[in-house]
Amino acid sequence: MRWIRENALSLTFMTLFVLALAGQAVAGMLEFNDQQLVNGLQPVSLLAYVTSSAFAVDVSENWQSEYLQFLLFIMLTVWLVQKGSPESKRPGEEGPGSDEEQLVGPYAKPGSPAWARVTGPRLHLFGNSLGLAMGTVFVLSWLAQSVSGLAAGNAQRLTDLRDPISWGAYITSPEFWNRSLQNWQSELLAVLSMVVLSIYLRQRGSPESKPVGAPHSATGIEG
Amino acid sequence: MRPMRTALAALALLLAAGCAVDTAAPARAAARFHAAVAAHQDEAACAMLTRQTARKLPDPGETCATALGQLRLGPGGRVTSVEVWGDDALVRLAGDTVFLHRFTDGWRVRAAGCEPEHDLPYDCEVED
Repeated sequence: MRWIRENALSLTFMTLFVLALAGQAVAGMLEFNDQQLVNGLQPVSLLAYVTSSAFAVDVSENWQSEYLQFLLFIMLTVWLVQKGSPESKRPGEEGPGSDEEQLVGPYAKPGSPAWARVTGPRLHLFGNSLGLAMGTVFVLSWLAQSVSGLAAGNAQRLTDLRDPISWGAYITSPEFWNRSLQNWQSELLAVLSMVVLSIYLRQRGSPESKPVGAPHSATGIEG
Repeated sequence: MRPMRTALAALALLLAAGCAVDTAAPARAAARFHAAVAAHQDEAACAMLTRQTARKLPDPGETCATALGQLRLGPGGRVTSVEVWGDDALVRLAGDTVFLHRFTDGWRVRAAGCEPEHDLPYDCEVED
């Protein structure tokens, strides 16, 4: 029970993620089969749908945008600040910070991770591992979107009695950029809303908010 | 991150599985269709069409076989290229371009006697 309580946030999001993905699979299959009937084609099973390029492109286009959002948020907040936002460091604190502030190398504490105690490439890798992980998943998801989008798009082109196109043509096509940009704009708006609204609004008890009584001008305080 | 890594690995596997396509079966289906047309076995050729294509081909009062025979489709010739995306395929023969769809009982012809129209849909003598 204690383990569940200490990991409740991750467990809750994982459960919601699985439920939402399952819901997307079922709803997507029903929509796909509706279109199959219109085209005089056979409906597909749930297994066939979740292994299809149509499902893969819908999943990966959302994943890439979410990881891009976190990549940008993590990297831009190193160098850019927003006065009054709990998501930002204080003005004047821009940059990667000193070794002493970051508790690395000779300034490492007894509980510091092993790669924070060393110097050189391992410290550099560990010191940027969060951004690298987000960036890697973003690139792989975007690549997966391009491949699955090409497959789904070409299947649709054949249904429409048109010639398939190459990967190069697909990644410069309006469809690929429409799928990408429609996700990016919503993620960027969500981050902007979080950064700006958290200056003036509060959520009591949430670490994503300043304490209710904190001044609007207070920066980098989490409640 | 572990579930995410597992999900990504699963996605990569699915993509790899999706890339391993069988081009021989649609090529054979297109060649068989044209062989039947060339041999004036129009009923057999109609049986290789999708249900929707076979239904839309004849005018009222006609059978599919009669309508297909009157079209006088040219010879298909040898298969020059095959593209398969999902359950759809395009087979280019020396004398024709054929569109097919994969059903549970095999590949069936959706459109034949097709001429390209730049990036627009092909103009087909037989289509659904």
